[in-house]
Amino acid sequence: MEIKLNNPYAQEELKAQVALMQVIDPELNVNIVDLGLVYGVDFSTEGQIIVRMTLSTPHCPMGDAIEQGVLNVLRQTFPDRTPSIQLVWEPEWNFNMISEAGKEQLNLL
Amino acid sequence: MADIFVNKAPKELAVIPFYATAAVFFLLLSLLLCFSARELTGHYFNPHILAIVHTAALGWGTMIIFGAAYQLLPVICEQELFSTRLAFLSYLLLTAGSIGLIVCFWIFDTGWAMIVSGSAVVLSSYLYAFNIYKTANDTNRSQIHQNFLLISAFWLCFTTTVGLLLTINLSYNFIPRNHLDILKLHAHAGIAGWFLQLICGVGAKLIPMFLLGKSKRNWLLHTALILQNLGLIAFLADGYFNPMHVRMYFYALLVFLGTLCWLLYIIDAYRHRARKKADTLMRHTLISLVAQGLAFGVIPIMLSNHQTKWTALYGTLIFLGWITGIILGKTFKTLPFIVWNKRYKNLNGTAKIPMPKHLYNENLIQYQYYAYIGTIVLTCLGIVVDHRLTIQTAAILWIVIALVYGYNVFRIVFHKTTIDYGNKAE
Repeated sequence: MEIKLNNPYAQEELKAQVALMQVIDPELNVNIVDLGLVYGVDFSTEGQIIVRMTLSTPHCPMGDAIEQGVLNVLRQTFPDRTPSIQLVWEPEWNFNMISEAGKEQLNLL
Repeated sequence: MADIFVNKAPKELAVIPFYATAAVFFLLLSLLLCFSARELTGHYFNPHILAIVHTAALGWGTMIIFGAAYQLLPVICEQELFSTRLAFLSYLLLTAGSIGLIVCFWIFDTGWAMIVSGSAVVLSSYLYAFNIYKTANDTNRSQIHQNFLLISAFWLCFTTTVGLLLTINLSYNFIPRNHLDILKLHAHAGIAGWFLQLICGVGAKLIPMFLLGKSKRNWLLHTALILQNLGLIAFLADGYFNPMHVRMYFYALLVFLGTLCWLLYIIDAYRHRARKKADTLMRHTLISLVAQGLAFGVIPIMLSNHQTKWTALYGTLIFLGWITGIILGKTFKTLPFIVWNKRYKNLNGTAKIPMPKHLYNENLIQYQYYAYIGTIVLTCLGIVVDHRLTIQTAAILWIVIALVYGYNVFRIVFHKTTIDYGNKAE
């Protein structure tokens, strides 16, 4: 998840990133931001937050638990906005998308 | 797009009863082993051995595989399970049928009770196959894993049907062939058709998923499926009309080569894995695969040497080595997730909640792993040297493993939601 500081919503995006770090992938036990599952958060539509994200596999049995977690934390953090999820498969998630912190937690380093 | 995968997890009723009941059957299996330790190396057509084998094959192996398949097929097919009610009905029939058959074999009552129990198992297998077929059939995507599951379900129905005919044949002799020869075909349809192909299909999906590994060599899985079925069909066809012959080596070799292709796929996924360190549960799987390889190695000895202990060793490696090994590992990779999903899915992100791996005692898994290795080695050693005390000791250790495993399974099943909002837990 990349945050550009010249983006007018950079502050909200940063706040959203911190919130999304509370959502843990139950199988891997690492938060979804460090796993690289969140591709972007869009605040440009008034009253809404659109999270563009993926899952580690299209057959992820924990998929709806992760989605529910995303909606829960964003509702708590931004009570005046309605969060929704845009689940995408392009680009396909791969191990290189995991952050250094995530790799360390997964013993991948 | 998000709704494609939402709510595809099956209902608890279609999964949890199978896991819980299988844990009880595992304990029963180890108790029966303990009571019959001195008979283990004798001829397999013995009431107690038949009861033990059916406890292992139906109450333990098939029971847990039904539950796992009902849990995993919707994930593989991206499709909801066709019917939870049918799944639960298959559970009731399998449980009743297994108990009936085990009791009937143990006391060797070959009358109506055995036939009715066998019929319940047959009906259960048909319901399972129908549910699997309807779930897989509703999806547009056709994957090799689905084919493994569907074909293995066919072999299950074949195995249970032949088994029922054999039970009827015990009371009303009507099969024109030798009962023991047909028994071998029944057993191998179950081992190489049902268990092997099911485990290959599910393993090809789950093992790379747990290792964070990938293999692009799907052709290996296709080849595995073809070779395993070719070998099995040829064995059954030849074995029905002719006595055991040197050709059986060739059929076993075909099945072995098929399994080798599957193993090469797994090795390729293992090589391309991100998670370098395999956890204890994955190491369970490794031991299980070693037992499977050894079982293949025993086949030539069994065919050329008529000492019954080799058949006992083969059966032990199959049921207590390969199948039990994979179940002991995979249970805690699957069961906690369905319970967690039910208890915590909607709370994710709102409070500090336990993760699926916190639903069972991880330390016990370590003990279970080492105890399992020691016990399977001791059991095989006891059989090879035909030493009653060694087998008896191993049987007692199986009871300990079953208790440890059962404790963890029931700890997960009866887990109560615990939420930590910071200072206080609810």
